[in-house]
Amino acid sequence: MMDAGRHPNIRLLTYSDVIDVSGYIGQFKVKVRQRPRYVDTTLCTGCGACVEACVYRKGVPNEFDAGLSKRRAAYIPLNGQGVPMKTVIDKDTCVWLSRGKCLKDCIKACPANAIDFDQKEEIVELNVGSIVVATGFDMFNPKRLSAYAYGKSPNILDGLQFERMSSATGPTKGLILTAEGKKPERVAIIHCVGSRDEHANRYCSRVCCMYALKHAHLVRDKTGAEVFEFYMDIRAFGKDDEEFYQRVQEEGVYFVRGRGAEVVVLNDGKLQVKAEDTTLGIPVQIGVDMVVLETAMEPQRDSDKVASLFGISRSASGFFQEAHPKLRPFHTNTEGVFLAGTCQAPKDVPDTVAHAGAAAGEVLSLLGRGTVVISPTTALVDEALCSGCKTCLALCPYAAISFIAQNGTGVVRINEALCKGCGTCTAACPAGAITARHFTDQQIVAELEGLFAIA
Amino acid sequence: MTDDQIRIGVYVCECGINIGAVIDVPEVVRFASVLPNVTVARQFKYMCSESGQKMIQDDIKHLGINRVVVASCTPRMHEPTFQNAIAAAGLNPYYFQMTNIREQVSWVVEDPAQATAKAKRLVSAAVARVAWHAPLQARKEKVTPAALVVGGGIAGIQAALTIAEGGYQVYLVEREPSIGGHMAQLDKTFPTLDCST
Ligand SMILES: Cc1cc2nc3c(=O)[nH]c(=O)nc-3n(C[C@H](O)[C@H](O)[C@H](O)COP(=O)(O)OP(=O)(O)OC[C@H]3O[C@@H](n4cnc5c(N)ncnc54)[C@H](O)[C@@H]3O)c2cc1C
Ligand code: SF4
Ligand code: SF4
Ligand code: SF4
Repeated sequence: MMDAGRHPNIRLLTYSDVIDVSGYIGQFKVKVRQRPRYVDTTLCTGCGACVEACVYRKGVPNEFDAGLSKRRAAYIPLNGQGVPMKTVIDKDTCVWLSRGKCLKDCIKACPANAIDFDQKEEIVELNVGSIVVATGFDMFNPKRLSAYAYGKSPNILDGLQFERMSSATGPTKGLILTAEGKKPERVAIIHCVGSRDEHANRYCSRVCCMYALKHAHLVRDKTGAEVFEFYMDIRAFGKDDEEFYQRVQEEGVYFVRGRGAEVVVLNDGKLQVKAEDTTLGIPVQIGVDMVVLETAMEPQRDSDKVASLFGISRSASGFFQEAHPKLRPFHTNTEGVFLAGTCQAPKDVPDTVAHAGAAAGEVLSLLGRGTVVISPTTALVDEALCSGCKTCLALCPYAAISFIAQNGTGVVRINEALCKGCGTCTAACPAGAITARHFTDQQIVAELEGLFAIA
Repeated sequence: MTDDQIRIGVYVCECGINIGAVIDVPEVVRFASVLPNVTVARQFKYMCSESGQKMIQDDIKHLGINRVVVASCTPRMHEPTFQNAIAAAGLNPYYFQMTNIREQVSWVVEDPAQATAKAKRLVSAAVARVAWHAPLQARKEKVTPAALVVGGGIAGIQAALTIAEGGYQVYLVEREPSIGGHMAQLDKTFPTLDCST
């Protein structure tokens, strides 16, 4: 993370969105909108004085701690460990920016004079030869499956919240505690929440079995609590994963084979997990004081927009579609655009890194070549015949056609680097002004005549 | 023989037994050899092999073949193979037509007589078409020596570092105020239980 932050060849554009992509392999033009942080990053030293001073003490849920802690309007991302390690002021929370009234103690506190409420968004234009899409995944929201009672008790956590609780940089400094501040005595871990489920996602998220086992280990290790793990199958297929599964079994975790069906919050606040133990063939009910829902990895919520921005398609599961499931697993159908990591499908860290390294290799090979060969089988407009009716303009799926106005009317022109020779415009042109090279009328008619020349 | 005279070579592939066991290949060759503008028609076990390609190249050199038809498999795999071969022999790669008598004939038509008849039609069509082909030149475009990486999780960071280490400019766009993604939120990672940040 830090290496990427200080590499001389990497320019970080954080708090930014790609808003437009044009061009083609070798020559993409990209527009990026950088949102204002309201802090001059060239001055901010990341000392945190403004964060300390921010009057918004009530706070809002801290995204980094998956809502387990609060942060103020001014904050340093990743609980102070962000890259870049610079304050950001969240405009929706900041009292000055959202309501126009605040003592602005942050400004008074900042020794570097870095706070700047006049900052505006900036549009940055970039020219690149290749693009890697690595937009990752979203967590499944277990509220969508009401049987798990998520949100009804602070002791029902999702997978990411458990990670934050167990992390030394998290809200409990790594202690696993119930909301009452006590070590739990019995913990239930439920697999496949939002995965392998007709009511949510049909696919297997591939990673949750392993992180569920990791969570079981951490609970045993840190609290000694009894752990009941509800699973349908354990998918421990990665390198060293089966050995890890055995190790967790030896640590004394109770494995209950059967999907955790329901979590009930009892009147005294205690929790009860109901399931069918399919090995014994009996329904079971287990009382616990903490439940961890091992939630699915899902496509990013805005992946339809991102897909259309970069001209990539999506699989039935919603993750981005690779060009070939076996032979081109990090390519897309737009030449020069590659996929890396979990935006293509759920993956653990080693698989993510391997996928990303492969995509980077493809980019290096392209940049190293220095040139790309563009197929000559494109469409050609006879400007003498074109009446300027613009019929073709909107039909081209690759936006390769532009209109050139000429005294009153005009003609269209085709950008050969963008044209894929699909023939749509050729067939649509009422004036017959467009020829598809290598698919001319003469060639096609001759082919048909040849086909029917024999009896 | 004048320079603009069309001289077509037709090459019918047996694809081992994939085509040869269903289609009467010698009959297709006999049929092709008398089609208009055809100078030579031949068959071979594997047209895509080195010796198959050399057969075409030799005919270009010695018989003055200036249009090539290959009747074999899907062009998805081997169209570039044959185009490169004829370009290496000095002919424009677009003076070429491939017709698919494997996926579209021998693998799907069970009756040998019908299969042979369909293969003939396809060869006839390709021969008629290739006579109208024009020489085309592929264009080369420069590649801007820089890359965009969208998303600063472990995938984006890994890709950005690898490309940057190769000496190219990388723009890493992240929508959150910090890079790191989900991995920055994890405690220890399975199966080795090492720290993730
Ligand atoms: C609870 C849990 C525990 C896990 N434990 C382990 C473990 O122990 N071991 C292991 O190997 N794996 C584990 N994993 C899996 C691991 O988290 C993933 O493999 C890894 O984080 C995937 O990285 P990524 O870069 O593909 O995606 P992400 O980490 O999701 O990164 C994507 C990045 O792209 C950004 N982004 C998204 N959309 C856009 C956009 N449109 N424009 C700009 N930026 C955008 C996001 O803000 C984010 O920074 C765990 C996962 C979970 C959920
Ligand atoms: S203006 Fe007020 S609310 Fe906004 S960051 Fe400064 S102190 Fe906090
Ligand atoms: S990895 Fe395990 S927990 Fe996750 S969906 Fe697949 S089977 Fe269920
Ligand atoms: S042939 Fe297809 S890609 Fe080319 S300009 Fe016409 S519509 Fe667009």
